[in-house]
Amino acid sequence: METNYLTDGPVSQKIITLLIEKMGGKTDSGGHTIFLGQVRADVIDGLKVKAIEYSAYIELVNVEAEKIKKTIFSEFADVNSIEIVHSTGIVYAGEISLLVFVSAGHRHQAMQACSKTVELIKVNLPVWKKEIFEDDSHKWK
Amino acid sequence: MQVKVLFFGVLAEVSGTGIKYYHDVRSISDLKLRIQDDFPEIVHYNFRISLNSELTDKDIELKSEDVIALMPPFAGG
Repeated sequence: METNYLTDGPVSQKIITLLIEKMGGKTDSGGHTIFLGQVRADVIDGLKVKAIEYSAYIELVNVEAEKIKKTIFSEFADVNSIEIVHSTGIVYAGEISLLVFVSAGHRHQAMQACSKTVELIKVNLPVWKKEIFEDDSHKWK
Repeated sequence: MQVKVLFFGVLAEVSGTGIKYYHDVRSISDLKLRIQDDFPEIVHYNFRISLNSELTDKDIELKSEDVIALMPPFAGG
């Protein structure tokens, strides 16, 4: 199953820089807002999270990500493009697990639309996480 | 007839497998009972269901080759 929305392992610097280059080509945009979600080394019951293992339902991720983009485009007329990249597999604390990149004609809609996209991802994207602790035990979230 | 059931998140662990096939299931409610027979502890978990990549909370009649996914609350980001 093909997807443009998932990447195996952390969202790499290469993906981020490639997107900046790609979006730069759209000269009708006056601003980009980039959100990077990072794996946090939470301490739960005395155990520190060393990584998160993400799993996803790829077919439904495609369907839901398209719906999210459609919603944002219909609410924010100034938005030119939306890119979503979520990790699957292991992402260590301090690494990036989610990228949302929104370009718009002007800064306000770029920022508002990016924020709303992240919220919609949290609610609607079929992705699951398993926190892996330093002693290799785990907990589903 | 045969349907494919996908287990996601913690349910993959509960079922011990990500995928299981069921034969001669009439409907989603029938399938739920069959899954509950196989994995009784599943009753302790909340999950939503999708049929062929579409979320549904209805009791729909199943046909051969349908793909049903059992999905705990999403936790992306």
